[in-house]
Amino acid sequence: MIIKKSKLTILTVIFAGCSTLASQAISDTNYGPFPITVKGYTGTKTNSVSYTGQMARHVLHDSLKKLAGTGTGEANPALEEEMMAYFSGSKKNKAIISPVSKEGFKLKQTLVNSISSGKNLSGKAYKGVVNGWPGQMTGAEVLEHMIKKAASAKSGFDPNTGYNYPQLISKFAMGAVFYNAAVDGYLDEKLAADTKPNGKPYKDGAYYTGKEHVWDEGFGYWGAAAHALNLSAKENYEVAKMKNFSAADFNNDGEVDLKTEMTFAHAYYASSYDKGGKTNYLHTVTKAFVDGRKLITSANGKNLTDSQREKLVGYAAVISSNWEKVIAESIFKYAGSVYKDIGKLEGLLDSNGDTTKAFADYCKHWGELKGFSMAIQSGKNNLGETALKMNRMIGYGPVLLNSSQVTGINSSGDFIKDEALSWGEYKLHMLKVQKLMVDAFGVEARANDQTEGLAALAASLGTSESAEND
Amino acid sequence: MIDFLISIFEHFVDPKKRIFLGYIILSVIIAFIWLIFIKKFSLVEAFSKIFDKRIFFSKSSKSDYLIFFLNRVFTLFISPMLITQIVIATFIFHALHQLTWLDVNMFKEVPKTIIIGLFTLFIFLLDDLTKYFVHRWMHKYPILWALHKVHHSATELTPLTIYRTHPLEGIVFSLRSAFTQGLAISVFFFLFGDKVSLATVLGVNVVIFLFNVAGSNLRHSHIGIRYWRWLEYILISPAQHQLHHSIAKEHHDKNFGATLAIWDWVFKSHHYSTDTEKLTLGLGENQTPKEHSLYTIYISPVVEVIEIIRTKFISSYKNTKKMVYRFLKIKRQINKNLISQRKDNTDVKI
Repeated sequence: MIIKKSKLTILTVIFAGCSTLASQAISDTNYGPFPITVKGYTGTKTNSVSYTGQMARHVLHDSLKKLAGTGTGEANPALEEEMMAYFSGSKKNKAIISPVSKEGFKLKQTLVNSISSGKNLSGKAYKGVVNGWPGQMTGAEVLEHMIKKAASAKSGFDPNTGYNYPQLISKFAMGAVFYNAAVDGYLDEKLAADTKPNGKPYKDGAYYTGKEHVWDEGFGYWGAAAHALNLSAKENYEVAKMKNFSAADFNNDGEVDLKTEMTFAHAYYASSYDKGGKTNYLHTVTKAFVDGRKLITSANGKNLTDSQREKLVGYAAVISSNWEKVIAESIFKYAGSVYKDIGKLEGLLDSNGDTTKAFADYCKHWGELKGFSMAIQSGKNNLGETALKMNRMIGYGPVLLNSSQVTGINSSGDFIKDEALSWGEYKLHMLKVQKLMVDAFGVEARANDQTEGLAALAASLGTSESAEND
Repeated sequence: MIDFLISIFEHFVDPKKRIFLGYIILSVIIAFIWLIFIKKFSLVEAFSKIFDKRIFFSKSSKSDYLIFFLNRVFTLFISPMLITQIVIATFIFHALHQLTWLDVNMFKEVPKTIIIGLFTLFIFLLDDLTKYFVHRWMHKYPILWALHKVHHSATELTPLTIYRTHPLEGIVFSLRSAFTQGLAISVFFFLFGDKVSLATVLGVNVVIFLFNVAGSNLRHSHIGIRYWRWLEYILISPAQHQLHHSIAKEHHDKNFGATLAIWDWVFKSHHYSTDTEKLTLGLGENQTPKEHSLYTIYISPVVEVIEIIRTKFISSYKNTKKMVYRFLKIKRQINKNLISQRKDNTDVKI
């Protein structure tokens, strides 16, 4: 009996040891849970991580994009009102329109308030003037203007201007709201010593400190699952596409929790580039967030020392620069798509073929290109000449089949069109946009690289170094 | 250091390089065949001729070996600074988009094998033609000749003599190569799209491979293989190139071609081969060993180039000064005439 007891004790010790190691392993790679460090906290919470507001905004964004593609082509005030509810917030507990559960991929939440209540996109949108869009409007004004137009466009697409509103709204909002709030707010001025100090709760009664929550909110906008570092880029991508339930359901409760287990927005795009193997944006950014959070937690509820804060600012710099590159990769990719689409359109025009689908594809890709190009200008960096060149080369609208292009906006908020560039010149602009992304941001994944063939051909010829005297 | 050693090693194991061991061995075999079957040498005589230690251990050859090593060092530093073929190709590819009479992929329906054949041939011809012209200019313009004569200062030829090149001349060659490749790949990629590729053997343009297999290393050697006359109008034989290195006046500025003799034929610099045993190679009679010193190889050309530029600059400065002086003199004369005319008019009124 004594022997049995001692065996049991040994087993218990081994089991406890393994559990400790396992939880240690999880906290090493996961964004949370992290302990409560706020001094004097008397509540029942045991995990200080909180970024549900950001996850609510991700579903507001996804739902708004979905709604933007449901117009009938007629004026539709009800649709506009519904979209505005997702953009500016609603007192009602709105349904999550996207993402929704599907066979083999059950989501835990179906209502926005189940994630976080009282959230909106408009309040966090870029406050500066958006130079890439006509009308000298702020980020929120541009998005509202797009929402109005989307409500009366058939499936969100206006062939007269070439605007694909679901894409324009979605991609610009990703920059104007998520990217801007994170890199120009939480990871910038809110890291200052006297702003939201770590020695105090974020607000009275909060179970997290000022800096803990600032950092958490930045992470929330990035859009990665808390366990993203445990997954490969491909698995993270499949989670966003709702194609890999086992990778998503980290706690094995049979449901994917949109608060912590889903891949959204920029993290999704990062994974899409990383799975090609040339880049590692998702893990780099997510790891910097995790490491930063560990650093804040290690301060144990005290104000960060200068060296701790310096280190934290270093992590923020890694996050901001890589995040910017992820957006630049998207601009690169869609400039390549637009280039290819024009080639297809030219072929169809030459053969008098039906251009309907090819034109819609072209405008969809242009919408993504334009949206991301406006998004990248919503960060903390003044892109100066790079932004100017990009805006001029992409233009306010795609070159249309009748050789016109949106060039401005009138006092009624309607778009003005004028004569456009030739297809050849516009294609050249797309190539130059790709080159600009390489030169200005050093993009590496380079999806849809239209000069890749040139590089491959050059490589097949070998070096041009030729010091031989024939 | 490792990069340096690798770059040396690469030259002997990379089929893209002229002195790839495979090509050298084939050149030796061809030399044996030539000497035994055409020149009727015995096997021993042929062996002694091919591996003649007076050639391979001459002052000239020893300096070739040293230059080969030293130039690898220069190349390591210079190469990263040079414009590459991809930069030129991208520039031309962009520019082609502005030509309204050309469309991207306008010939993409052409069968792939034809495109590959056309590209392989085009790049070979363009490369050979530009080599011809750059070589011709090296002899024509004093600044370039100051550099190129380093190569011609060799009094014995070995396969490594192709690397007896001043680093500044190497830069000119690299720019030519970058321009040629950049032009060819951009134009073909623009017109034919992704179907363009090179017909290769061991990763080398098939035409260049054939040229190398056929004994390209014998051009810079003491084995004077001559072709039939009709063939020497099409291809440069080793003996024709050795004649290009001859000091005889009648051989000056002849046979600039690299692979094809056609360019020499068309642009009137063609010369049939002669018996190379009678040729004296180098820059002139009574060439001293000093011509193979590192100072003469590396420093003298730079001094000469500076001197040429300085002389040109001074003479053009003097000419400009003379012109300005003349202009001012004429202007003064005109003013004088005008003043005297006004004076005359005033006198009449009074």
